[in-house]
Amino acid sequence: MEIINNPISDIEDYIENSDRNELPELNIVIIRNITIEPIKPYLEYLSLCMEHKLNLKFGEYDNVIQDVLTNTELLQNDTDCVMVFLKLETLSPSLAYKFTELDNNEVHKEVELVKSYIHGTLSGIRSRVNALISWHGFELPLYPAFGMIDFKDDSMQIAVINELNNYVKEQLSLYENCFYIDLNNIRSLVGAKQYYDNRYWHIGKAPFTLDALKEISMSNFRLLRALKGKNKKCLVLDCDNTLWGGIIGEDGLSGIKLSTNHPGSPFYEFQQEILSLYHRGIIIALCSKNNEDDVWNVLDNHPDMLIKRKHISTAQINWQNKAQNIQQIALDLNIGMESLVFIDDNEFEINLVNEMLPDVQTIHLPKGKSVEYKTILASCGYFDTLSYTNEDKDRGLQYKAESIRKNHHNNFCGNIDSYLESLEMEVSVDIAEDFQIPRIAQLTQKTNQFNLTTKRYSESDIKDYCEQSDYEVFTMKLNDRFGDLGIIGCSIINITDKNAVIDTFLLSCRAIGRGIETVLLNSCIEKVRSNGVSEINAFFKQTNKNSQVKNFYENHNFIVIEQNDEEGHFTLGANDSIPKNPSYFKHVKTTN
Amino acid sequence: MIEEKLKKIMSKILKISVEDITVDSSPDNIETWDSLQHMNLVLGLEQNFNVSFDDEEIIQLLSYEIILATLEEKL
Repeated sequence: MEIINNPISDIEDYIENSDRNELPELNIVIIRNITIEPIKPYLEYLSLCMEHKLNLKFGEYDNVIQDVLTNTELLQNDTDCVMVFLKLETLSPSLAYKFTELDNNEVHKEVELVKSYIHGTLSGIRSRVNALISWHGFELPLYPAFGMIDFKDDSMQIAVINELNNYVKEQLSLYENCFYIDLNNIRSLVGAKQYYDNRYWHIGKAPFTLDALKEISMSNFRLLRALKGKNKKCLVLDCDNTLWGGIIGEDGLSGIKLSTNHPGSPFYEFQQEILSLYHRGIIIALCSKNNEDDVWNVLDNHPDMLIKRKHISTAQINWQNKAQNIQQIALDLNIGMESLVFIDDNEFEINLVNEMLPDVQTIHLPKGKSVEYKTILASCGYFDTLSYTNEDKDRGLQYKAESIRKNHHNNFCGNIDSYLESLEMEVSVDIAEDFQIPRIAQLTQKTNQFNLTTKRYSESDIKDYCEQSDYEVFTMKLNDRFGDLGIIGCSIINITDKNAVIDTFLLSCRAIGRGIETVLLNSCIEKVRSNGVSEINAFFKQTNKNSQVKNFYENHNFIVIEQNDEEGHFTLGANDSIPKNPSYFKHVKTTN
Repeated sequence: MIEEKLKKIMSKILKISVEDITVDSSPDNIETWDSLQHMNLVLGLEQNFNVSFDDEEIIQLLSYEIILATLEEKL
């Protein structure tokens, strides 16, 4: 992502020279009352970084309501994201420029007009598409109308604009898949004096500098990455000169720099940021060239060590090369390389991983800049998700439990069924309930490996499916001897009078390899049959991550209707038998 | 040399070859020189030559000749 700091022409060249043919499209529509075409190269570049080809459309300049309600070409079913830019100066010149002239009634009237404009725009967009909406809030004036005392009174300019932004946030929360982008925050990041280009505001109603456009683009892509399942799930950390200053093998426990005072405080703060991510559901792993005991000694015994053994889901601490070790980490956690972010202070290690494991995102911590480590991590934008659920909160624990399970496996010499039986698994398939919708949507967005059709859905999509009478949404929950894994699978079936189609069938990667997919599939089949439908159709759509399920339906007695390198179509007839649920589960509960 | 550097920058931003840039080069005869690229050009010149144009200058920078003259004045 470094190229984004280059001049526009470099970015345009990079885009021009990239092969975008095979890439999936990212459809963005920008609705606006300002000139914002200059943002395009940044959005295009960030799309490429996310392995998508940008298809960008602009609504007419300052024709927002009409665009939303009557322009049928603009918002379409395949629109992924609608970005809304409404600048107050254009929307309400009175509130922006003439505030001190207005009496309270006039302010109130104007506020109501703006609110109804916002309401009309938002509800209009939602009535047309389910796309992710990223709504850019109003900027507070740098020099408010009443000057230094403006903040004092609720009737003055700052309070009024805050009220409008609060109204926007309220309205956004009424719908699914809507997100507020705080331009005041972005303006702070860029620096207010580098954010506006007053010349171009006057010449062409283009208010933003390139730096501002860059930062706005990056904020939007934090959301878009999450929307397309490209957000990262795991942080792999080096130890020496990363988690603490110095080298534990040489400096010893009392010699490394880690404390609440300088020079250890930058590392302490960095660890706080890491822990913050842990509690948001990011998995933490260690990859260090050290003697194992030395590293665990720090985690267990150093008084200022915030990251403890319990936070680490898996670790590769040895003298082998880090590319191999990171591969092993991905294997242990059963997640793809593209879900990993690797952080190291050593350029050699970073380059090695960039070469050998190009799918892994790396962050190099520059020498001598430990005071910046926390900011570098906080600003990377790889970990944003579109929601925060209980499963996220406990994810670290679950992956830790999973590691224990795997170690448990290693001690087991017998047949794998006995091992699976020893896990004492309890599987439960249920019809989805409302409170599970965020988790189900999240699963469709994030699951890549055991995913038959890889259809990505938003919460409002799942809600629709739950409400429609010709669709069934199933969740599958699992717990075992080591803990509760929560909802780890789901399926969406379309059942009409004559036909049934499995639209979505997926399993979270940490639940693969236990045979529970058979339970979910059997539940789906039984439901279809109990509705009196004879034939079930199922599909497989090949991606570069899900080839392990290519033969899933065939292995479960479905008949292959058609299969090629890209797709498969399978059916199960009324009289075809279904494979039995594995016998090693402690308990199986289904809806039937 | 200001001329060489200016031609290089214009070539890169307007996606034309250096040889095609003449005294008369302007938005009238260069297709890629639309208002958006004009902005990129202005910003590119400011960054590369470490100068600053005001709004009235920006809208006048409409040919190679004028840009060169303006730059020479400022540098």
